[in-house]
Amino acid sequence: MIRRIVFLIAAFLWLLASMPHAQAHPHVWVTMTSELLYAPDGSLTGVRHAWTFDDMFSAFATQGLEQKTKGQFTREELQPLAKVNVDSLQEYAYFTYVNVDGKRQKDALLDPIDYYLEYDPNETVLTLHFTLPLKAPVKAKTLEVEVYDPEFFIDFGFAEKNQVKLVNAPAQCSMSVAKPRDDFFSAAVRLDKSTAWEANAGMGANFANRVTVTCP
Amino acid sequence: MTRNAKARLLLSVLILAALVAGACYREALAQSSPLAAMRQPAPAGLFGWLLSKQALFYRELSGLIRAAKSDGTALWGLLGVSFAYGIFHAAGPGHGKAVISSYLVANEETWRRGVTLSFASALLQAITAVLIVAVAAVLIGATAKAMGDTVRVIENLSYALIVLVGARLFWVKGRAFMRTLRALNSKSLPAEPEHAHDHATHAHDGRAACCHHDHAHRDHEPNQSAAADMHEHHHESGHHGHDHDDEESVLPWGHAHGPEPEELAGPGGWRRGLSAIVAVGLRPCSGAIIVLVFSLAQGLFWAGVASTFVMAIGTAITVAAIATLAVGARAVAKRFAATRVSYGTLVLRGIEVGAAVLVMAFGVLLLTGTMASERMGMF
Repeated sequence: MIRRIVFLIAAFLWLLASMPHAQAHPHVWVTMTSELLYAPDGSLTGVRHAWTFDDMFSAFATQGLEQKTKGQFTREELQPLAKVNVDSLQEYAYFTYVNVDGKRQKDALLDPIDYYLEYDPNETVLTLHFTLPLKAPVKAKTLEVEVYDPEFFIDFGFAEKNQVKLVNAPAQCSMSVAKPRDDFFSAAVRLDKSTAWEANAGMGANFANRVTVTCP
Repeated sequence: MTRNAKARLLLSVLILAALVAGACYREALAQSSPLAAMRQPAPAGLFGWLLSKQALFYRELSGLIRAAKSDGTALWGLLGVSFAYGIFHAAGPGHGKAVISSYLVANEETWRRGVTLSFASALLQAITAVLIVAVAAVLIGATAKAMGDTVRVIENLSYALIVLVGARLFWVKGRAFMRTLRALNSKSLPAEPEHAHDHATHAHDGRAACCHHDHAHRDHEPNQSAAADMHEHHHESGHHGHDHDDEESVLPWGHAHGPEPEELAGPGGWRRGLSAIVAVGLRPCSGAIIVLVFSLAQGLFWAGVASTFVMAIGTAITVAAIATLAVGARAVAKRFAATRVSYGTLVLRGIEVGAAVLVMAFGVLLLTGTMASERMGMF
């Protein structure tokens, strides 16, 4: 009887611990580089993303697409898919959030421009390029751009090199990039040398990838 | 009431509260739009670890499928990782844990039936995934978008079925609840003293069973004697084969000893849970679809199929474990109810109604997209 009760208590605690987090469930991994675009007056006008999907998802996304050369996709062949991608991304606000002086801006972004897909036949991965113009250019002391999927279906992580670039930003501005913690992962687990996915494979919205730009 | 009974009551209440609280929490979370979604607490502990593991396993699948092309032994690794992935993966949303658990609680099912349901629905999920990819990708050469759209249609069908299963349970259980309530009201005397001992469990259970059978119920007053209940109970077991397509016959065994083996093995045994199996299992796991398409692109479709089925076995183990837990909680509540014949039965019926409502609610939330499931839709 005591054993049974202990078991039930343990089970109950486990249930309690697990239920709230049952959201997290990544199926897509994105390795990204981003550029923050500035106007001559020093205001942020847009964000340019390059998102590289993992090979499994890339294979899934390119399934059934017409291709002239097997194993390769031209930009033109991929353009319809790119359109589907950016159209679907709208529902998720492009997973891109802008905070001005610590305050989340609602509806800060316009629909993407200059979008296209690239296929890397060696790595068999797709990269989605797109630019998100800001509805109204922003000038602020502290500006943050965060990228994450609150539902954690997609696991975003910055690339190890050239993760974020400031384009035409005022000279006095400085930038820092915060990557999600890697509590659950040891550096020894490294499946894909070219990405930093394992650093991002923790979960939850607070594992946002955050770029902070400070302009005194 | 003994100390043990109190402790058990407390535990069962806690477990049910946890289930409900978990459901509400998820609902609340899912309702906030991505824009409004602020920081969630960092997942930690066992569950965070589980999820990080499943992410790792999933990432390893692609490498192993590639390796299996040239190295046959990599296939074993692939199957091993698929199995582990399935076990960890099922801890996330989808896969019908909540629906199956609630269904089992509402229906007074045995743990064995819970395990059967879990495995059957997981295997059906795998079969759906393989069929979708085999037909859409291999035969027709459909695009990812077309496949995603197909999955969405099937998903909605599955959610609608869950609503139907829940609604039916609610109807059956609601009536049983009302009958128990009426029986209680019409009975001025509390339970006879001998109900307190073990034999009473049979009598009580027999009554519970009888309430779901109109033909049996009609010719008995609610305050029938224990002996009559016993008779009723056996009588029903004899007739079980006649009405197995009726959801109401899910309950006929009231024995504390669990179901007779033939009740599980019989054709009715299969059909009883079939609606739940189909409702939950129709919807394929998006992870499996991605793995299948990837293996197809690698020219190793069969490796993806093998991986999908092994994954399903892993998934079924996790779902079955959780389902067993729910059945255990239900059994504890029932044993408590047995010590308080009249009032306890009402509580039990109430729990069943609540669980039926949960099944319905899960279906509605999934159907309206309020409750997060796996997202197939990004592309």
